[in-house]
Amino acid sequence: MIKISLDPRTKLFMIFAVSFIVMVNAITPLEWGIRIMVTLIPILLLVTEGKYASAFRFTVFYGASLLLLKYCISESSTGIFSAILVGYCGIVAQFLPAMITAWYVIRTTKIGEFMSAMQKMHVPDGISISLAVVMRFFPTIKEEYSSINDAMKMRGISLGGGKVTKMIEYRMIPLMFSCISIGEELSAAAVTRGLGAPVKRTSPYELKMKAADFIMIGIFAVSVIIFITAKYFR
Amino acid sequence: MNDKKLKAKDFITIGIFSALIFAVEFACGMLGFIHPYIVAAYVVLIPLVGSIPMMLFYTKIEKFGMLTIMSVLLAIVMFVTGMGWLGGPLIIAAGFVADLLAKKGNYKSFKLIAISHGVFCLWICANYFPVIVTAKDYRKNMLEGGYSAEYCDNLFRAINGKTIGVLLILCFVFGVIGAFLGKAVVKKHFEKAGIV
Repeated sequence: MIKISLDPRTKLFMIFAVSFIVMVNAITPLEWGIRIMVTLIPILLLVTEGKYASAFRFTVFYGASLLLLKYCISESSTGIFSAILVGYCGIVAQFLPAMITAWYVIRTTKIGEFMSAMQKMHVPDGISISLAVVMRFFPTIKEEYSSINDAMKMRGISLGGGKVTKMIEYRMIPLMFSCISIGEELSAAAVTRGLGAPVKRTSPYELKMKAADFIMIGIFAVSVIIFITAKYFR
Repeated sequence: MNDKKLKAKDFITIGIFSALIFAVEFACGMLGFIHPYIVAAYVVLIPLVGSIPMMLFYTKIEKFGMLTIMSVLLAIVMFVTGMGWLGGPLIIAAGFVADLLAKKGNYKSFKLIAISHGVFCLWICANYFPVIVTAKDYRKNMLEGGYSAEYCDNLFRAINGKTIGVLLILCFVFGVIGAFLGKAVVKKHFEKAGIV
């Protein structure tokens, strides 16, 4: 399969476009169509990057919640079960497109590329470095959390038994310990590579907008425009 | 080089703690979809749970700007996850004021840190603003978006123009309480280990 590698700036634009689109509620079939389309594009891109498992998972989740929303839930449904169901389908249908895009961007952008793109857009160093760390850190937090969770399960401290405060404390504190020590290592490594030196940084990544980038930007810009006109200039 | 200037190490610290705070926010946010009253209860939940990383963060702050940058990051993340742009400036404003307050105490005075944490927690309320400002549209959108009428009614009973004042005050109060709680936890665990 051909690999489409997009410019980080295109990816950022995609994130903004998608989060704008998910904020505005889709009502007419056309709007739903666009929304589903902007969800499918990142999924397809994930496939081209060879991330079949996550692409499949996202498709199933999104499809299931859309079907449930369409056929099982109406304005008049009441009761705790439907409240939960509505809640989860609502969150999935509403926010999953943004999450898929964010996931795609995080998984496929190298930090070096990201930094170089940010530098080209003249974003202040403070924001770009911190954002890069946030991006890099989500997977780490997840990983650390699951190992801490395993350890706590072994000790019998889980959601079912025991007190809630204990549960929070015994997960939160070790997580923070490990995050802080990882952070120390990270900053040592970054400083060694010259981050924060008072010179202009160079990057091994040559960023260039290619045809694919312009096509993507075009598609997303058009969908945003359609959404705005459908919403405010009806 | 000017000592007051933020260095790469500070930016990395900001990034780590922002990620932690956001993880807390996300975990609490998931609960909100069970019942709309929990959405209103964020003002209690997030300051209390989030206070632990925040207090540890406060011990690492020495320079002006770290809290402000953190609030900018939170605003960006909130936007990306679809919370809307209405709250963004408010989040940044809360972060900036909190930063000024903590700076007054040179980032050491606990009294000012507690107040500053209270102010910083107001960013949670900023996420309610789209609900209030555009209440009518929001309700319509939610109904058309598939939420049940029951959920909407409860949500708007809990969050509206009248209750926002109460929510803001609660947010601030629990922010201050959270500061004490967080400090206790930091003292219990981190000072012993020599990390602070």
